[in-house]
Amino acid sequence: MAHLLSTDLQGGSDAALRAMFAARKRVFIDLLKWDLPCLEGQFEIDAFDNENAHYLIVADQGGGHLGSARLLPTLCPHILGNIFPHLSSKPVPRGPNILEITRFCLDRGLRAAERRTVRNQLITGIVDYALAEDVERYTGVAEIGWLQQILSFGWDCRPLGMPIVETSGALGALEIRISPETPAKLLAAGIWSPIPTLAFPERRAAGANG
Amino acid sequence: MPRLAIAEAFVDDVRSAITGDDLFAALARCCGEMKVRYFALTHHVDFSNPMATGLRLHNYPASWQNWFDENQLGRSDPIHRASQRSNVGFPWSAVPRLIRMTPADKSVLGQARLVGIGDGFTVPAHVPGEMNGSCSFAVDAGETFPLELYNVAQLVGGFSFDAARRITGTADGWASPNQTLTARQLDCVLWAARGKTDYEISVILNISHETVIQHLKHARERYGVRKRAMLAVRALYDGLISFADILRY
Repeated sequence: MAHLLSTDLQGGSDAALRAMFAARKRVFIDLLKWDLPCLEGQFEIDAFDNENAHYLIVADQGGGHLGSARLLPTLCPHILGNIFPHLSSKPVPRGPNILEITRFCLDRGLRAAERRTVRNQLITGIVDYALAEDVERYTGVAEIGWLQQILSFGWDCRPLGMPIVETSGALGALEIRISPETPAKLLAAGIWSPIPTLAFPERRAAGANG
Repeated sequence: MPRLAIAEAFVDDVRSAITGDDLFAALARCCGEMKVRYFALTHHVDFSNPMATGLRLHNYPASWQNWFDENQLGRSDPIHRASQRSNVGFPWSAVPRLIRMTPADKSVLGQARLVGIGDGFTVPAHVPGEMNGSCSFAVDAGETFPLELYNVAQLVGGFSFDAARRITGTADGWASPNQTLTARQLDCVLWAARGKTDYEISVILNISHETVIQHLKHARERYGVRKRAMLAVRALYDGLISFADILRY
């Protein structure tokens, strides 16, 4: 059974983090051809992978990477705020309770059915993390095709600005508002799929296993 | 009204939409703000078939819908076909680049102009396990769809399908309950979709010939289909397998 690992770089989950950076290289550099730095020819790690970043990793029983996402505090440098601020028509949302979702990554080795399962587990983990850590809003930059999928998850999304055609395709910025009702909305859309969670550092509130 | 404000007003508007009428009203208001005459949000099914399910909301002239249904264009309309080839919105001028236009297609567009529908912009909606659909906006015949509205149309189109999904519910008459196939059944379905015989699948998966036959039989029973081709189509539709799984291995 898959489980969700909630960790930062200092959390001591080195093997899982290495597997994630390698999976990110296979997806974002090899497959999607994003122009990103590559460490030692096998890890996709950039300047935002620092002590401020938090990671949610879906791993299989043997610890293998299935999917992952990086959450960045919006009070620190982040993708929307520092690279694509022009995607937001208003001031980029920043605050202690606002995180940015970046590097949403589903392992290249997954088949369609597994991709969907892991995607749902990761989305569920992202919402669960928000509820446990008092995150009120997520922001994110997405390519339009993916953006359309994000809308179909049933949660409360709003556009932050007009989509803009960049070299990598049409990009848009979104914000997602999280509330206690969000799990029910995801459930109605067939997305909600909680799995056991291991949190480093341990969460302060209940729900660590939710 | 600034363009983002149009999209934002629409998003707020549809958040409370409960019925198709609410969504229709929100789209109509949004068209008014964009100064665009027509909208059409539709699933790509043949609505002349009384068994058809799915949502269709539009303010095209009534004569257009009648002609459209008489000619059973729900599945073959050139704009709908073009939208299968794109995951981002496209202006209708791009349709000949997306699909090979037949004389029948040209006559469809000619007929549209005849009833007053001019240039337009279409946002495709493809989500695995759902009927394909699209949301189009169009101006009067003889006018050009304004370039500066492409992005707002893209946003509004995307959010309108999100609302349509909520209104119709995820169960759309075709979708099957979750977790329909076991992992081993799915392996067999995938290799069958790739064109392998039962015997070949048994060699590839290193299981007995009889086991493959049983897996595929049970998979067909779960979907209530009799042919393996239909089984592959259903698994594809549900997103249990993808075109990439079948074509690139």
